[in-house]
Amino acid sequence: MTLARRKLLQLVGLLGAPTVFLLIFFFGPLLIMLVYSLLTPGLYGGVDWIFSHLNYGRILGWADTRYEKFDPVYIAIFLRSLKLAALTVVSSLAVCYPAAFWISRMRPGLRDFAIFLVTLPFFVSLIVRLFAWVLILRPTGFLNQGLMGLGLTGAPIEFLYTDFAVILGMTYVFIPFMFLPLYGSIEKLDMAQIEASSDLGATRFQTFRKVILPATLPGIVGGSVITFIPALGNFIVPSVLGGAKVLMIGNLIEQQFLSARNWPFGSALAMLVMSAVLILLIAQFRLAKKEAQS
Amino acid sequence: MILRRLLSLYGLLFFVFVYAPILLVVIYSFNANTLNMMIWDGFTLDWYRQLFGMETSLTQSATFVDSTDQLWGAVRTSLIVALSTSVFSTVCGTALALAVARYRFRLARFYRTLMMLPMIMPDIVLGIALLIFFITIGMNLSMLTIIIGQSTFLISYVFVTVSARLAEVDTSVEEASADLGATPAQTFRKVTLPGIAPGILGGWLLAFIISMDDLVITYFIAGTGNTTLPIHIWGLLRRGIKPEINAIATLMLLFTLVIAAAGLYFRSRRQK
Repeated sequence: MTLARRKLLQLVGLLGAPTVFLLIFFFGPLLIMLVYSLLTPGLYGGVDWIFSHLNYGRILGWADTRYEKFDPVYIAIFLRSLKLAALTVVSSLAVCYPAAFWISRMRPGLRDFAIFLVTLPFFVSLIVRLFAWVLILRPTGFLNQGLMGLGLTGAPIEFLYTDFAVILGMTYVFIPFMFLPLYGSIEKLDMAQIEASSDLGATRFQTFRKVILPATLPGIVGGSVITFIPALGNFIVPSVLGGAKVLMIGNLIEQQFLSARNWPFGSALAMLVMSAVLILLIAQFRLAKKEAQS
Repeated sequence: MILRRLLSLYGLLFFVFVYAPILLVVIYSFNANTLNMMIWDGFTLDWYRQLFGMETSLTQSATFVDSTDQLWGAVRTSLIVALSTSVFSTVCGTALALAVARYRFRLARFYRTLMMLPMIMPDIVLGIALLIFFITIGMNLSMLTIIIGQSTFLISYVFVTVSARLAEVDTSVEEASADLGATPAQTFRKVTLPGIAPGILGGWLLAFIISMDDLVITYFIAGTGNTTLPIHIWGLLRRGIKPEINAIATLMLLFTLVIAAAGLYFRSRRQK
């Protein structure tokens, strides 16, 4: 056996099984979901293997049959999810950017420990972290007790089951996602440039806008994308902190599968989420490529 | 100077924001008040005793009476699933990482990009896609479907962790080993494997923790009778908020912290 041939065999040995596994159980399901989104829902749950584009028509506007009717509510929920995910990104940036800046200026030993502390909650059960916020936000919770104790409000404010609670919850849960990319680019900041900028008479704000912000833009974009994506399709956070009042696209998809039992329609909704995610990723990829060229 | 102080203050508040909610859960898991869990009424271990089926001074109405057996059943399911999934994912992820890092072939870069997909795919999309898939091919939802489903994205996590380690390991040592007459198998066992062992261990622990915590994907493909711990707690939360959830949450916290600390300990020891 020649060396090249043996190498090839080794390579196939390493790649073969995992590749087949992923082809069947990762790409297979996504492909079947695409097929399902183009089928007709059966009368009692199931699915009829008849081609239909009406699942998309119900969301996007061209379905007007008796059972399959366009309803603007679906696109409204989708837009609302985009909005909540975008607001989550903005609030994550506001929370993490100054913190990342602060930590990047610490002395090395302390800095590593601080980064460890920021990433640690990622390993704490998601459901536990959300439960903690239920305790804080509910009418008899810590926040309301505190506010009433200080005399700032007479009656408890309904924080739970609002957009605010959902955005807060998602911000909290995705802190490591935003923090690490931000930190990565803030750490690389050239302090000499910042000093030069202020020596040359730039105000702090000018220095931030003209020097710091452009230099940390890759981190901002990277963190925003990987925060936005899980926020968009999230259904755990809106279920726990948003209740029935804050419906996101994830909740709508879940309903199609577990209570409405309209799988083709649910698949079409999921395809919508997946397309949004892929468009975003391709856009980011292009942007990064352009940046690397210039 | 003022700006610096403000930044430090903000930084401290940031850590309060990150840790206060978790600490509240821990503190209130020891609260003796059975009527209103938000009002502190002395220290008790009753919520923990309750979980372990020991005698408590709690009245029946204060707890989810039937939950103890279900809880431990869920813990058992979670452990079995997490153990199988993490081992399987570690083997697959490590094999892929080795192939991509140590062999020259045309699809190597393609693989690197492709392996990002399962991690970035919104979990609800993957969850329902797997559900449709299993139902369509006529596979009954069971622990096996959970293990398969979770592995599809955990392989990627192991791949990334091991790849990072492979990039750090000096390939010249491997070449030297081969030049000195070691067979490929010997080189792998004596040189490559020890070098990337921390990465493999790290990837395995990461996969284990994420598997233990996975809610969304498991939620869709678990079927009935295969309740994992996160799904069990999810169910409890839907039935109302009871203090014993604090105790369960604290124990889970302790468990993940021990694993995370062990992972970091091994990593720091290997680096010395």
